[in-house]
Amino acid sequence: MILEALIAVAFASALVVLLSPNEWAGRLAFALSLIPFAGSLYLWSGFDGSGNALTGGDIAYQTQIEWLEVGGRSVSWFVGLDGISLPLVVLTTFLVPLAILSAWTPIDSRQSQFYGLMLFMQANLLGVFTALDFFLWFVFWEAVLVPMYFLIGIWGGPRRKYAAIKFFVYTNAASLLMFIGFMSLTFALGDSVSSFALPEITGAIADGGLGSFAGLAPETLAMAAFLAMFLGFAVKVPIVPFHTWLPDAHVEAPTPVSVLLAGVLLKMGTYALLRYNFTMLPEQASALAIPIAAIAVISVIYGAMLALAQKDLKRIVAYSSVSSMGYVILGLVVFTEYGVGGATFQMVAHGLISGLMFMAVGVVYNATHTRMVGDMAGMADRMPVTVGILVAGAFGYMGLPLMAGFAGEFFIFVGSFAAPALPYAPLFTALAMFGIVIVAGYLLSAMQSTLFGPFELATDYEVGPAPFHDVAPLAVLLAAIIVLGVAPDIFFEMIRDAAVPVVEGVSVDG
Amino acid sequence: MIDVFSYVPAIVLLPFFSFLIALGAGKYLPKGGAFGGVAATAGSFLLSLWVLATVAGGGAVNRTIYTWASAGGIGPTDVELSFGILIDPLSALMLVIVTLVALLVHVFSLGYMNDEGETGLPRYYAGLGLFTASMLGFVVADNLLMAFMFFELVGLCSYLLIGFHFREPGPPSAAKKAFLVTRFGDYFFLIGVVAVIGTFGTAQFAGPESFPALADAALNGSGSVAWTPGGVELQTWLTVVGLLILGGVVGKSAQFPLHTWLPDAMEGPTPVSALIHAATMVAAGVYLVARMYGFYALTPTTLAVIAFIGGFTALFAATMGLVKDELKQVLAYSTISQYGYMMLALGAGGYVAAVFHLTTHAFFKALLFLGAGAVIIAMHHNEDMWDMGGLKSEMPVTYVTFLAGSLALAGIFPFAGFWSKDEILYEALVHAPGEPLLFGGYLMGLLAVPVTAFYTFRMVFLTFHGEPRSDTARDPEPVRWNVKGPLAVLGSLAVVTGLINMVPVQKVLGLEGIDLLHRWLDNEWGGIAGLSSHHYADIGPYSSQYIVGGEVATVLVGAAVSLGLALTGLLVAWQLYNVPSPTEHTAKLGGIKDVLYNNYYLDELQVWLAYRTEDVAGGADTFDQGIIDGVVNGVSSVSLIGGDRIRQVQNGVVSQYAALLTLGLVALIVLLGVTGGWFL
Amino acid sequence: MTAVASSIPPEWYLLLAAAVFCVGLFGVLTRRDALYFLMSVELMMNAANINFVAFALYYGDLTGQVFALFVIALAAAEVAIGIGIILVLYRNFGVTDVTVPTEMRW
Repeated sequence: MILEALIAVAFASALVVLLSPNEWAGRLAFALSLIPFAGSLYLWSGFDGSGNALTGGDIAYQTQIEWLEVGGRSVSWFVGLDGISLPLVVLTTFLVPLAILSAWTPIDSRQSQFYGLMLFMQANLLGVFTALDFFLWFVFWEAVLVPMYFLIGIWGGPRRKYAAIKFFVYTNAASLLMFIGFMSLTFALGDSVSSFALPEITGAIADGGLGSFAGLAPETLAMAAFLAMFLGFAVKVPIVPFHTWLPDAHVEAPTPVSVLLAGVLLKMGTYALLRYNFTMLPEQASALAIPIAAIAVISVIYGAMLALAQKDLKRIVAYSSVSSMGYVILGLVVFTEYGVGGATFQMVAHGLISGLMFMAVGVVYNATHTRMVGDMAGMADRMPVTVGILVAGAFGYMGLPLMAGFAGEFFIFVGSFAAPALPYAPLFTALAMFGIVIVAGYLLSAMQSTLFGPFELATDYEVGPAPFHDVAPLAVLLAAIIVLGVAPDIFFEMIRDAAVPVVEGVSVDG
Repeated sequence: MIDVFSYVPAIVLLPFFSFLIALGAGKYLPKGGAFGGVAATAGSFLLSLWVLATVAGGGAVNRTIYTWASAGGIGPTDVELSFGILIDPLSALMLVIVTLVALLVHVFSLGYMNDEGETGLPRYYAGLGLFTASMLGFVVADNLLMAFMFFELVGLCSYLLIGFHFREPGPPSAAKKAFLVTRFGDYFFLIGVVAVIGTFGTAQFAGPESFPALADAALNGSGSVAWTPGGVELQTWLTVVGLLILGGVVGKSAQFPLHTWLPDAMEGPTPVSALIHAATMVAAGVYLVARMYGFYALTPTTLAVIAFIGGFTALFAATMGLVKDELKQVLAYSTISQYGYMMLALGAGGYVAAVFHLTTHAFFKALLFLGAGAVIIAMHHNEDMWDMGGLKSEMPVTYVTFLAGSLALAGIFPFAGFWSKDEILYEALVHAPGEPLLFGGYLMGLLAVPVTAFYTFRMVFLTFHGEPRSDTARDPEPVRWNVKGPLAVLGSLAVVTGLINMVPVQKVLGLEGIDLLHRWLDNEWGGIAGLSSHHYADIGPYSSQYIVGGEVATVLVGAAVSLGLALTGLLVAWQLYNVPSPTEHTAKLGGIKDVLYNNYYLDELQVWLAYRTEDVAGGADTFDQGIIDGVVNGVSSVSLIGGDRIRQVQNGVVSQYAALLTLGLVALIVLLGVTGGWFL
Repeated sequence: MTAVASSIPPEWYLLLAAAVFCVGLFGVLTRRDALYFLMSVELMMNAANINFVAFALYYGDLTGQVFALFVIALAAAEVAIGIGIILVLYRNFGVTDVTVPTEMRW
């Protein structure tokens, strides 16, 4: 029942903060958000799951209570953790308090609503990563969009309405496509399933339970469902060419919202891809290995090239997220333990690193009120600690060894280079790797012109060191990134354990 | 008996702790945390000496000490990624070199940075500490992945230290260039690492299950590899992998065409340059090839390419050094050139010769940079040699030691550089017949000898001889013990290091046993099987041929030719520049001067490439905003405009609503009637 | 009475109802004054009533007549509300022309 308690506490604290006065909403929200974090650490310490939750592994902290019946199938409150979801739960509960801290400075109106929405979003995110019943999961999945919409639309930059609506409509339309895909699968399964529980559905598909539906043969239907779900999740990830909502949303969103958007929300897409497309329909995934790997590589290179062309620091980090998510897709499609495990690890690593980058850029922005590369120079002179951490974070983004990003990327590369499931795997891997050169190019260029050289600022603000509560979350994040880079096994071991059954879903000869 | 090898991690960690201390508490410590760094590197140095002694006593170790990522499948096989230490004669020697140079650089920094009143000292000493720690981690690495990781950290440290003076425009740009250019090389290296792990399922350097051993077994048919890409022959694939890893080497060791970052890196503080050039970053590339020489020896094509790149770089960089005006610039090009020699040696099968030159070069190049640092202190940070002159009477210690380093660099008998460079050229010569690439490399290496001597002594004469050409040169700032001490240590080493490997003397005079380095690297005192120079020679493609009579004759002729060429270069420099008021003679070169002065326009080429990449990126951005986002916004616009049109029907006039209702009703009735067949 | 009524064929009732309905519809479509509107709507409803009653007679089922009573009650209520709306309309716009107030559009 501890998972329920965790989610319930998150919802309750959202309510409490919403009703609290603006003056201390920030502090209250921070204190309350530490409870789920402590809870997730407790979950971690007592974690006894093994294998993959969807393929009959031992699910930790499992609860399954029948809830209602839809169309002859039962919907249940079904939550639990395995080696893939636990790291993401920890990531979420870890990032939210830090994001709340980073909001203290920039958010100066309607604080109780802001922090309430942040906590509400956290509760739903926890739901997404723990739910094992499709309906339950879908409710949380959609409910995440609502607080995000308001967070961007109310506290965002000048084009916040455009960005918020674009984000909401785009991802919601994608959800519809995904929903159609998944429902057609469940209909095609007919009587071989009696509920919407994901493990049951996965098992039924693996046992060949798919029948024909709507005049489509089982193979055609499975492929169509795969494509529908892939496109649906591709928007969320986002994969090129469905990525254009992301830079707009990031640029307009206030810093703490960007942190959660890049840090956790994007991982929903890759998490769902892993759970639905690659675990449930591995045959279709490997039949489409070449096109999927191709768009993964395109995402990496194209995203990086776009980042190179940007002048707004936030846009740079936003596009580089597109690039980093491309690695995750590559890791998933190769179906090796290191590939799939590395992809999951990269989700966590990128969550931490992009969170750090957005936060650090935000702290600079708090001081300068501009994010444009040409508007400032030599910031290192005025805010040495912030800039120091920003530089370290940028190197983490470039994949500096002994930081989390390198571990994730390297696992993916090692897992994909010789992968039998993907034809021309070495070629795809080598092409994707070129991203590490471009990422160094644009981050170093941006840092050189904004952080170094003689101090210069287009406007004449007094710029001094950032307050402690701005710098502290940066330092904590950096420490986490380094710890995870030096000892990736603290997550990788359980992730790999959960990835093994996924890999075994694909039989490759030779 | 205490197991010294369990203290090897401490060699790496001591400088790392000094990094942490300097970073965290440097501003509260005297001298900005310098003493922590000095103590740490001194500790590492002593431990390294102890390790060296243990290896001399027959010890060696190849031990995994930390599992980085647990075993998992990568497709063809399972791998576990780990850290470990590999201590054999090569790494023990390198440990001593790195820690010694790092120690001296720390001491020298007291004079160069602290006494000169620089700000940001904690950051400086933190950088130095991390730099040393990364390099030491790289040296003791027992597998390719760990080597790559520390290789990258070395790159990070070079970025931090080259860009130390971040408030000026130049250093951040140079730092960026250094990291980017080497990153470009490391891209290939990373593919190589991944390919090695994919092919062999391991990245270990040593042992029966190491990748060189597996490759050897697979090539001679007694084993097989886990995976090769479909349709590619094993020999070809191993060559490809070798060349990929070479990419990283070319980047870090500043070989053509990725050498352009190194001269720019002179923006960093001079002690940092000494560290980068002598013992850490640039040495890392060559050390890597030596470390995995058992793999390279298996692929003759790779060796030939290495030799050719090396020889070409040696000559190419030397020519650019001819016309430079700044002291450190000349030294920068000499570094590129000297590492070219080491690559030539490695490509020519001269494993020992390369390590020998790496050793001697570490000492004399560190010496030259520290000497240049002393001159720069004296000249109040003016580096232009045309403003110097006549410094030898004002700063005798610096002059004498600098001269010793220069003689070593120029390869003048009996200084250290002579012995090592001579052995490289000898190895290349005897292995060259039948190998056109290697022979080309040899010829270029030989041609570079007089050029090297010329630019070295042009530098010496312009700096120390003649009449002072500026006020600062007439009254230079004195330097203290912390500058002179390191110079003295390195100066004596530059003179005597040649003694560790008296191969020509042994061959000519028939004295047995004075080729200490040969015996050392051949595991004569101890080592790890499969990591000896003999083993490398056995599996390597080369056999010696003496084109000028016997072995002794070849040795003598080779030495005489290279010494003669070096002396020629020296004498020309003497003629032109050892005069009271020397003038630029570069005008005689005509158009070539501009080409050389502009480094063959390679920097322009790379800048051009960078700009074209940015253009492509700009194009991609336009495409993204215009086409891809255009489609997204287009869908939204179509919906919005469509909705806007349709809602015009809702005009508020109730009568029209009623009329529409009626029309709808009539239409419905007609439709029902037609389909229901009322009108038939 | 009943005999006379039932001797008339139902088509006649339907034609009468249709005619009354069309008169009402014509009024709604051509008149612009809200009061005429109201009266026309009344006519249309009574056309429906004729149908209800006619079919009730035809089938011998009282449901139709009950419905007619409902409609009459409804019409009364509607007139009350309708007149109220017209009064408000007049107060706000000074006219009872329904094409003038077009605030509720788009």
